[in-house]
Amino acid sequence: MLEILINLLTLSVAAGFVGAISGLGGGVFIVPALVIFAHMPMKVAVGASLISVVATSAGASVAFVRDGWTNLKVAMVLECATVTGAVIGAYLAGVVPTVVLELLFAAMMLQSAYFTITKRGDDILTKGDPLAERLELAGEVPDLSGQPIHYEVVNVPQGGALMVVAGLMSGLLGIGSGALKVMAMDYIMHLPLKVSSATSNFMIGVTAGAGALVFLARGDVATTIAAPVAIGVTVGALSGSRVLPHLKVESLRIVFVIILVLIAAEMGWRALSGI
Amino acid sequence: MPKQEEENRILREWTPFLLRTILITAMIFLVVGLVLTYTFAPDYYVDRYHAVQQGHLIGKEKIGHGVLLGRIREGNPHAVLTLGLFVLTLVPLARVAFCFILFIRERDYTYVALTAYVLAGLIVGVLVGSVG
Repeated sequence: MLEILINLLTLSVAAGFVGAISGLGGGVFIVPALVIFAHMPMKVAVGASLISVVATSAGASVAFVRDGWTNLKVAMVLECATVTGAVIGAYLAGVVPTVVLELLFAAMMLQSAYFTITKRGDDILTKGDPLAERLELAGEVPDLSGQPIHYEVVNVPQGGALMVVAGLMSGLLGIGSGALKVMAMDYIMHLPLKVSSATSNFMIGVTAGAGALVFLARGDVATTIAAPVAIGVTVGALSGSRVLPHLKVESLRIVFVIILVLIAAEMGWRALSGI
Repeated sequence: MPKQEEENRILREWTPFLLRTILITAMIFLVVGLVLTYTFAPDYYVDRYHAVQQGHLIGKEKIGHGVLLGRIREGNPHAVLTLGLFVLTLVPLARVAFCFILFIRERDYTYVALTAYVLAGLIVGVLVGSVG
């Protein structure tokens, strides 16, 4: 038993660590790690990953919420969309053939790789649209000198539409869909990048939680796997977030892209060759 | 203090506390469960691991709350692990429920409706999973 536990903990600590320093979350790495290295069925990997993503989101969100980087109201508005998508996605995960899940996973890895390459700077707006104003979504972030900068929010329905897709992918594939969520908030709704990342991290808990509840209630969460994976991914993610400020993440970006493309290739190959 | 600022202050103070408390509780159950499993039921764990690997246990990990509590009282290691996972899934439920109650107290009915929708979505998730 000790050997199995060490293997699972090593895989999940590594996945949580890389997920945290890449900003993509542990789910993106733990699902393929369980499928490829621990030879687990895709559905088992997805169930275990959803549970661990809930844990890492809770752990990582604490500092962001306390320090005011998370826009809680934007999170609550968009969670309506992600929860809807996640419940539908988690239901479909029980009926969709594994080959489709593997192909979708490969596609999401390529999207995450694209997102990692094309991350851009802030584009702060000073005038929000009427719906965002009615929902009081505007916020403040400190600039380099610590002075607060006011930002406004636009395009809530369009951002919400992409969030339904993010939720769907989360429930289907056991990932947090952080790359899609940050894209929706940063590119479409024009939130500052760090606010988008912190808010996405916070929302991931509810999105993955919705999927995890479907999997748990259906009896699809393998306790034997999910328990050590949840511990390992959480430890890895917390260590990663501690190390992150001391790393030159820009220089690691190409490494993350290569890993994501390799995972996409492996999962795509598995789907097409019927392994 | 304006209503929005007061809401934000309460959310920023209490949300991290809620998240951290439930997460630590869940982790304690999971670690204790693994230690108990390693001490008292290592062969059971290995058998289940291989059964999961071969896909035999997909859809078969359902356990009723009454049965779970009974097994925990007996010190069943697997039940302690299952409880740890249940507690983890309480993180989002508790956080949204807390916001829902806060917005009712603050009479912010737009956000009462939004958080009610998210809560309902989480509960529907349990129902959807239960029926298959």
